[in-house]
Amino acid sequence: MKKILAALMATVMMAICLAGCGAKKPDSDMQYVKDKGTLLVGITDFAPMDYKDEDGKWIGFDADMATKFADSLGVKVEFVELADWGKKIMELDDYQVDCVWNGMTLNEEVLNGMETSKPYCKNQQVVVVKSDVADKYSTKESLKDLTFAVEDGSAGQDVVEANKWKSTALPAQSDALKEVGAGTSEACVIDLLMAGAMIGEGTSYADLVRTVSLTEEDYGVGFRKGSDLAEELNKFFKACYDDGSLMQIATTYGVQKTMVEW
Amino acid sequence: MFETVLQALFEGFSKSLEIFVLTLLGALPLGLIISFGSMSRFVPLKIFTRGLVWVVRGTPLMLQLIIFFYGPGLLLGTNIWGIGSQGRFVAVIVAFILNYACYFSEIYRGGIEGIPRGQYEAGQVLGMNKGQIFFRIVLPQVIKRIVPPMSNEIITLVKDTSLARIIGVYEIIYFGEKFIKSNGIIWPLFFTGIFYLLFSGVLTLLFGYIEKKLSYYKV
Repeated sequence: MKKILAALMATVMMAICLAGCGAKKPDSDMQYVKDKGTLLVGITDFAPMDYKDEDGKWIGFDADMATKFADSLGVKVEFVELADWGKKIMELDDYQVDCVWNGMTLNEEVLNGMETSKPYCKNQQVVVVKSDVADKYSTKESLKDLTFAVEDGSAGQDVVEANKWKSTALPAQSDALKEVGAGTSEACVIDLLMAGAMIGEGTSYADLVRTVSLTEEDYGVGFRKGSDLAEELNKFFKACYDDGSLMQIATTYGVQKTMVEW
Repeated sequence: MFETVLQALFEGFSKSLEIFVLTLLGALPLGLIISFGSMSRFVPLKIFTRGLVWVVRGTPLMLQLIIFFYGPGLLLGTNIWGIGSQGRFVAVIVAFILNYACYFSEIYRGGIEGIPRGQYEAGQVLGMNKGQIFFRIVLPQVIKRIVPPMSNEIITLVKDTSLARIIGVYEIIYFGEKFIKSNGIIWPLFFTGIFYLLFSGVLTLLFGYIEKKLSYYKV
């Protein structure tokens, strides 16, 4: 009698638990988003990926793509500014946001805690030199005698220090670029995203070029673990790449050189 | 940790002091020369020096540093400062000396023009030439009068040395901020204030002493 009762109770509890879980977590994340009619996109202020225009509307490469993706799902997009970048996985699991789409580096933590899209953007730490000497510094070995300018506390500074190259630390990446332009440093190490927008034709630094890429990091979009939206987004990215709209948006924000092929 | 911070801040402060001392050594005499220019009876020279003083006093020192250091390379296409920390430091000193000399020149001019005509005439009566009159009669009286406004400028100079960081010369504020970026510790930056306060305190006492020493002839 006792055994039967115990088995019965266990069954009931399991049923309650399953029902409870089922109500909270729908089978398909995509269906959940479609049913509620909005895609909550977790972002921070990070130009040129996500930032506000004069009217306070979120724009940027990531913001524009997220809006387009929501359109393709037939839902509205809503941007949620993450108060704490370190708690982004928690925000997803709490259903406070449906995705994190903010030039997010696909590192160990993100890959383990989220369902991620394929990388859509490759950021790099790149070396920038004057174009007339660019041929001499096309390999990493050739850089060792140069004097670098770097942003204090940046990823570029980490690379330069790890290689024990001579460097001067300046307040911002744009200052490091100014050094190379003026010839007061021979080279600088900055983000590819920044280099893409700030050097070459049409800028004040027409005579600067980037040569060697030192380190590489992939940007991806993160969803809840197990979400079917990640695969949907991969398909969406491919479609946008094929019809040219992805590159068009990338060019608007000057990040076309960092895009990956689909 | 406290010792590490203190050591780094002392290293930065010694750079600040170097800028301070070298600027004074250059700007005190140069200021006198510029003040002669702005009092000159030769009109083109007078217009030129007054124009220079206007430009230097009318633009921020931070901008002057950027123009001095990056201007030759970015605007003229030839970097005159070379590569490395030596050139940066020289550029800082040149910009600081010119800037402070212009401020000092106006203080000198005020002091010199405030000396009564009778003092020059007295010198002539004694048979002195122009140089003797200036260095033996006028200048000692000028120095006495300009101590308070000079101490004002010199104490401003102590704090202006922090601008050197803008072109990559590592002075004390740079080291203070470095601890925020590398260790996430913020108090070293605030602590740099103690260095400035102590040093300007010493200068205040020093100028008070000089003023007292020079207060002879007072009735």
